[in-house]
Amino acid sequence: MRSLLLQVIAVTSINLKSIAQRRWLSLSTVIAIALVVIVLLAFLAMANGFQRTIAGAGADDVAIVLRAGSQAEINSTVARDQVRLIEDGPGIARGADGKPLISPELYLVVDGLKRSTRTKANLPLRGIGEQGAALRKGIAVTAGRMFNRGSNEVVVGKALLREFEGFDLGSTVSFGATRWTVVGVFDAGGSVFESEIWADLNVVQSLFNRNNFVQTVRARLTGPAALNELKSYSDNDPRLKLDVKSEAAYFAEQASQTSDLIQKLGWPLAIAMALGALAGALNTMYSSVAARATEIATLRAIGFGGFPAFVGTLVESLSLAAIGGLLGAAATYLIFDGITASTLGGNFTQVVFDFKLSPWLIGEGVALALIVGLIGGLFPALRAARLPIVAGLNPT
Amino acid sequence: MNDFDLVRKNLFRRKLRAALMIVSILIAFMIFGVLAGFHRAFTVGEDRAAADRLITVNKINFTQPLPMAYFNRVRAVDGVRQVTHANWFGGYYQDPKNFVMSLAIEPATYCDVYRKEFDIPPEQLTAFIRDRSSAVIGESMARKWGWKVGDRVPIASNIFSQRSGGHTWDFTIAGIVKAKVEHVDTNFVLFQYDYFDETRSFGKDTIGWLILQTNAPENNDRVVKTIDSMFANSTAETSTDTEKAFGTAFVAQFGNIALIVFLVVGAAFVTILMIVGNTMALSIRERTREIGVLKTLGFSGGRILRMVLGESILLALLGGLPGLAIAALITIALRASLASIAPAFAVSPDIALQGIALMIALGLITGIIPALNAMRLKIATALGRG
Repeated sequence: MRSLLLQVIAVTSINLKSIAQRRWLSLSTVIAIALVVIVLLAFLAMANGFQRTIAGAGADDVAIVLRAGSQAEINSTVARDQVRLIEDGPGIARGADGKPLISPELYLVVDGLKRSTRTKANLPLRGIGEQGAALRKGIAVTAGRMFNRGSNEVVVGKALLREFEGFDLGSTVSFGATRWTVVGVFDAGGSVFESEIWADLNVVQSLFNRNNFVQTVRARLTGPAALNELKSYSDNDPRLKLDVKSEAAYFAEQASQTSDLIQKLGWPLAIAMALGALAGALNTMYSSVAARATEIATLRAIGFGGFPAFVGTLVESLSLAAIGGLLGAAATYLIFDGITASTLGGNFTQVVFDFKLSPWLIGEGVALALIVGLIGGLFPALRAARLPIVAGLNPT
Repeated sequence: MNDFDLVRKNLFRRKLRAALMIVSILIAFMIFGVLAGFHRAFTVGEDRAAADRLITVNKINFTQPLPMAYFNRVRAVDGVRQVTHANWFGGYYQDPKNFVMSLAIEPATYCDVYRKEFDIPPEQLTAFIRDRSSAVIGESMARKWGWKVGDRVPIASNIFSQRSGGHTWDFTIAGIVKAKVEHVDTNFVLFQYDYFDETRSFGKDTIGWLILQTNAPENNDRVVKTIDSMFANSTAETSTDTEKAFGTAFVAQFGNIALIVFLVVGAAFVTILMIVGNTMALSIRERTREIGVLKTLGFSGGRILRMVLGESILLALLGGLPGLAIAALITIALRASLASIAPAFAVSPDIALQGIALMIALGLITGIIPALNAMRLKIATALGRG
C-alpha cells in the first residue's frame, strides 16, 4: 500500500514537472477554462447583483397593498375610499400620535437620460405619503435635505443620480409641463429605492391629475404575523378585495423574473463553452500522454503499476483546470465585481444594480472548471494506464 | 494524389486530435450563430422600421396618457397621411402569469398604418369593424391558445377595471392576423378602443400613443416639429420621433445587448484561437522531417505554405459550417418560445456569411505561423532534427 502511494506521488510529480515542456498547449487549456469561468461568473454575478438590489429592498413587517392581479406597482390602482378602509384595518402599527403608519403612494414613469448611452430611459417618480421614508429601512439623506410637503421638490436616489443625467442637487427638472427642484440625495443601503425619485404624494397627485386614487399602500405591521389578519380583512370586504403581500415577498417575485432570465442565458452559454474547452483539455492531456509514452513504459518496465500513471495524468489535468478556474474567478472579480449596470425591472423602470460575486458563485465556477478537468483528464489517464509497455518502448 | 488529398490526409492523420479541434471550433461557431441571431432579433425591427412612420407619445414618458382629442388634431397636420392610436391594456388570460400582449385600437386606421406588416382577410376586417366587442388576434397567439374565429375569449387587464366591476373583458374573435414580414410578432390581441373606453372605470377619453404615417420620409422633420410645438406648454406635451428611433431607445433600456454578445463571442473565439493555434503548431512541428522530405522532392516553399494554410482553413470550415448549421437549428427550435421578445430570431444569410468569413480568418490566423515556419524550413535542419 505504502509503495503504491509512493509510486503515485512519484509519477504525479513527474507529470506536474513536465507541464513546462508543453507550456503553450497547457497554457491555452488554462486560459480556455478561465474564459469559461469568466463567462459563467459574469452572468451569475449580474443575476446575483440584480437579485440583491431588489430582494434586499423589502421588509417582512411592511405590507404592500395592490389592486388584485396587478402584479406590479406600476399597474395598480387603489381608490381613495379604499385607502381609508385600509387605514382602519387590523394588524397595522400606529405611531405615538395614534395615527396608522401607512403610506399611500403613486408610482409614475418619467423620462431620464442615461449617461452611458445618451438615450431616454424610464425612471420611477414615486409620490410618497408622510410615513413613506420611515416605512423603508435605512433611508438616509446624504446631501441636501428631504423635500418639504406641499412643494414641487424631489429627492433622488444615489444610484439614479450616478447613472442618469440632469438630477444634480439644486437643479430643476421638468416632467412634461411640471417643474421640480432636486433638494436632496438619499442612500437606501444599495436597494432598488436608490433608483427612484421621491416627491410628496399630494403634489404628484395634483400635478399629474390623479386626485382620486393612488397606486399602492404600504403599511407597517405590528409584526410579520399580522399580515394574515390584514389579508383576510381585505378578502372579506367586497369594497377592498385587494392583493395584500409582505413587501419582502413582493420584491422577491419582482427580482426572480429578471434574475432567472439572466441565469437561463448564462448557464447554457457557459456549458457550451465548457464543452469547447473540454475538447481543448482532452487534446492537451492526450498530447501529454503521447509525449511521455516512453517514460510511462519505462516506469512500467521497472515495476510501476498502471494506477500511478492514471492518477498522475488525472492530477495534471485537474491542476490545470483548478488554475484555470481560480484565474477565471480572480479575473471576474477584478473586471466585473462592483461594476454598475441598469436594466428594465418588473415595474417597467430602470433598476440600477452592481455585479456582485459571492463565495458560493465562485464555488460554482471552480466546480465547472474541475468537471472539465476531470473529464478532460479521465480518458487520457485511462490510456496512460493501459499503454502497452512494448509499444511505449519502441517509439515510431 | 493531389495537394488537397495530402492536406486532408495530414489533417486526419491523428483522428482524435482533429475531431477534438473540430468540436471546439464547432461550439464556438454555434455560440456565434445563436448570439448573432439573438442580437439580430433585437435590432432587425429597428432596421426594418418603416421610414415614414412616426410615434407620438407623452413627453413625460410613453407610459403617460394623451388626450383623445390629439388624434383629430394630429390628423389635420399637413404632411400626415394617416394617424391611428393605441392604448396598452396589460392583458392576461386566466392567470396573471399568462401575459397577453393586448392593445385597444381604432380598427380601420390601425390596420391601414400597418398594412405592409399585417395580413388580414378583408371580410374578417369588416367583421372586426362592425362588431364593437370583437377582437382580432395574431396567428401565433391563435396557435398558442388554440383560439379560432368565432370563439369568445375572456381577457383580463392588470391595469383597468370594467365600470360594471371586474377586470375581465370578453371578446369575440373576428379575425386572425398573419405577418407579412418575418420580424413582425403576431403574439397579440387587438380590440376596439371605443368599446374599451365606454366600459372602463377610469382614464376615459385618453389614449396611450399615436402612430402616424407621413406622406414621405422627407416631411418627417417638419411634421415632428409641427406636432410637438402644437402641444407645447399644454398639460400633455408630446414627444414625436421616428418609429426606428423610438425602437432603438426602447431596446437600449434593457442594457447593452450588443456589448454582451460581443464579449461572449469574443471569449469563445479567443479560446479556439489558442487551442487550434497551438495544436496546429504542434502538429506541424511533429511533421518537420516530412516537410523536409517534401522539399527534397521539389515542393516549393510557397506550395508548402499553401498546404499548411489549406489544412488550417479546412479544419476551421469543417468545424465552423456544422456549428452554424446547429445554431440555425437551435434558433428554429427556440423561435416559438422567444417570439414575443425576439420575433426574428434566426441565423440569417448575413450572419452565415460573416461566420464563413470568420472561419477563413480563423484558419489563416491559426495556420500562418506554422505555415511560415514550414515554408522557411531548411532541408538540412528538417532532416537533421528528431
